[in-house]
Amino acid sequence: MIEMVRRYVRQKYGSPGLLVALGILALIETFTFANGGGRGGFVIAPWAIFLLAAGSVSRDVSSGALQMILSRPIRRTEYLFGRYLGILVSYGLFLAVTSALIFLVVHLTTGSAAEDASPLRLVLLAGDNFLTGAFQAAILLMFSTFLPGIADLLGLLVLFLVLHLPPWNKTWLRNAADAARENLLPQVSWNEALRGEGILGAATGRWVFALTVYLVLAAVIFSRRELPYGQD
Amino acid sequence: MIAVSGVSKTFGRFGARRVKALDGVSLEVRRGEALGLIGPNGAGKTTLLSCLLGFLRPDGGTITVDGKAPDDLSVRARTGYLPERLGFDRDLPGRAFLAFHWRLAGGARNRAKAEVEAAADRVGLERPALARPLRGYSRGMLQRIGLAQALLHDPELLFLDEPASGTDPRGVALVRERILEAKARGATIVLNSHQLAEVEKVCDRVVFIDSGRLTKSETLRGDSATRRRGLVRVSAAGLAAAASVLSREGFEPNADANGSLRFPVGSDDDMARAIRALALADIPLYEAKVSAELEELFSEKARA
Repeated sequence: MIEMVRRYVRQKYGSPGLLVALGILALIETFTFANGGGRGGFVIAPWAIFLLAAGSVSRDVSSGALQMILSRPIRRTEYLFGRYLGILVSYGLFLAVTSALIFLVVHLTTGSAAEDASPLRLVLLAGDNFLTGAFQAAILLMFSTFLPGIADLLGLLVLFLVLHLPPWNKTWLRNAADAARENLLPQVSWNEALRGEGILGAATGRWVFALTVYLVLAAVIFSRRELPYGQD
Repeated sequence: MIAVSGVSKTFGRFGARRVKALDGVSLEVRRGEALGLIGPNGAGKTTLLSCLLGFLRPDGGTITVDGKAPDDLSVRARTGYLPERLGFDRDLPGRAFLAFHWRLAGGARNRAKAEVEAAADRVGLERPALARPLRGYSRGMLQRIGLAQALLHDPELLFLDEPASGTDPRGVALVRERILEAKARGATIVLNSHQLAEVEKVCDRVVFIDSGRLTKSETLRGDSATRRRGLVRVSAAGLAAAASVLSREGFEPNADANGSLRFPVGSDDDMARAIRALALADIPLYEAKVSAELEELFSEKARA
């Protein structure tokens, strides 16, 4: 599992193109925040999860790397959850660096401990984004186990759109849609939850449930998936 | 032992997209045996290899390796695999690639450096190349480093898909040496290759696959060899005389357009007898060898 996590982080941070893209995102977030755009939280940084998580499994399938890995004594679930942890570590690193940059830039430019960029607030913002990103990454991972390339992004978009369709005319349909949205894309105010307010509330419970559902689905689909390669 | 019994595999569900890639394939690969899979493009060889490795699940039939499923972790711990085209993280240096596979196969971290360098030496990859990312490798270098990773941990089961593809003549010889080494230490080898001369040099047996069916199995070595041809090349003037001498010795020679005579031989002793008879008849002999002539088999089967 550790080798899988290490490989994922190395894949992401060893790719010059991706590294530049992440660097640009971090810089834009830093200067947006420093210019007062960060009052409501991070604006640009959350997009990094899409760069880091898209095609996490499908690219290995199409390149044949997965077949080489699975010819070793590695369980498919070990590979899959190694990828997921790799995404989390990569995103965590990105958020840590971005938060540190914001802290440095804000404190160097204002010369004082600005409340908006206090270490505690930055940690809470990073935590908020990390947990939201972890949820999105689980959905992307699930789609990536059976969709090609970066079609997992499309899958996430379609899921989001379907669950946010305009109100249905029929009451029972509207209720079903609301229930599906609440349970499959639960909204949690992590900023408050991380301060200990309602951490054990219903919203957090739904979040954990939905995250588990996506990861279990990913594991089931991936375990059953066939992996052809090459041409006869 | 690898046992394949009545394996079928179909891709696609409807109409023209439905392709029966394997149709009731049965075969056995004995421990320590080197088996060659030969057949035209699209015959089902790679599908069979994918099934043997557990990447694909057959629709029908069974595959076992020493009585276990091919994707059993204990089987995989003893497996080395080289795909036809090595597609791995392109930004990863060769050294890190080999170290990663060493660790995945359960190798100790503190031995990784030494093992990686030894593996690279075995396939003729120089140290500076190990520091370069895989994106900078030529096709031949990718095959070499792929073979190096397949041979890590001296696997008992070796699945090789076109191992010498894209390599120069030195690389082809090197791949052959490494396969023969693995065979000498008792590894069971399944080799999928279109380089029939190389297949003949390393395999004990070949199976011919066409349209998903196993249509022919030929033993190339040992007393039970089923396909052994003697070939002698003499001058054009001596061709008729040589054919006559060989016929008198009980062989059934056929002359080909290159001025060579081909005839079935039962053993190496038969070939020695043929050479002695030609020498005693004072017929100058330019070339003499025993060959399975897989190209001929391939052509025969392809025509059929």
